Amino acid sequence: MPLPGASPDRRRTPSESRQATRELSHALFTELAAPTTSATRRVSCREDLVRLHLPLVDHCARRFMNRGEPLEDLVQVGTIGLIKSVDRFDTGRGVEFSTYATPTIIGEIKRYFRDKGWAIRVPRRLQELRMSIASVTGEMSQDLGRSPTPREIAEKLGVTVEDVMDGIESANAYSTLSLDAGETNEEGTGNSILDQLGVDDEGLAHVEIRESIKPLIEALPAREKRILLLRFFRGMTQSQIAEEIGVSQMHVSRLLNRTLEQLRSSLREVS
Amino acid sequence: MSHRPDVELRLPAESAYVAVLRMTTAGLAARLDFTLDDIEDLRMAVGEACALVLDSAEPGGDLHAAFDLSDGTIRVSVSADSRGGSEPDMDSFGWQVLTALTSEVETSREGQLRWVSFTVRSSIAV
Repeated sequence: MPLPGASPDRRRTPSESRQATRELSHALFTELAAPTTSATRRVSCREDLVRLHLPLVDHCARRFMNRGEPLEDLVQVGTIGLIKSVDRFDTGRGVEFSTYATPTIIGEIKRYFRDKGWAIRVPRRLQELRMSIASVTGEMSQDLGRSPTPREIAEKLGVTVEDVMDGIESANAYSTLSLDAGETNEEGTGNSILDQLGVDDEGLAHVEIRESIKPLIEALPAREKRILLLRFFRGMTQSQIAEEIGVSQMHVSRLLNRTLEQLRSSLREVS
Repeated sequence: MSHRPDVELRLPAESAYVAVLRMTTAGLAARLDFTLDDIEDLRMAVGEACALVLDSAEPGGDLHAAFDLSDGTIRVSVSADSRGGSEPDMDSFGWQVLTALTSEVETSREGQLRWVSFTVRSSIAV
């Protein structure tokens, strides 16, 4: 329901646009709450409200980007939080809807990370262990100048070597950032990690790649290609790569293993 | 030095079991105080070596793995009965990955048995 005389979005300043959203939101909630409103109209008010506030979900979901889950999935679970908020919102409380909805949306996204981010259901203990390992591995690599051994990690965390190996193994069950889950910026074009990587790298320009695998490597997403080249043609360790591109060593491990797996199956198809 | 491997494992010659082998290898390397980077290399190398031998493996056959463990060094041999007489392709990507990650990579055929072996040393071995 466009407001009479409202100018098209692109001509509004952001604050005017926010003001318009607030007014429309308020009008819809008032209508939704009114006892005289028909059931059909209520359904459409609810839908309009959800649609109106989708940018809020998008905004919340972006705060969780680059943590191993595709943005679309985060938006999807965040939208569930939004729907819950629309259903529970009470205009009488005197707070803005966005203020009320934000914690619910973020809560829903966090819950998704906690429960659904795993390809296999991994016990909470292992999830926590995995996170502790990931964080001390980074620290210890800095201190030692090399990656730590499982025993060193175990001593640091006060657990057994077996626990550490369990934790590392469980990391493999954590669903990988899908290879096409490119990051998107405000304009919807790819950015972030890929931009930070810088596609042209002088060192890599001199790398000789066998003709047979060249097209396959060329076809890889930029990040996977770079990780592969850094590991095999530059001889960098996973920890060094992790440091260079700013992700955890476990993430490098997953991406690398997945890339190798992909290359293997593509090569099999070719031959 | 004896040539008796310290650990042996026999598995169905199917790619689904490679994960078990990778996990076992990681466990052995942890026991030898390899660093996480070394362990990751080992896991990848095992995956590639298995891919090489399974490529021509007899369906329903066995995948055999033997580990020679010593201080700071682990030598892995994987083998499987193969159909046909082709040698592992040394130009293949898998072979390149293997030689990049490990040392003393060897491959050969003994009768029907095709094997690949390689050595990984702990980067902090004295």
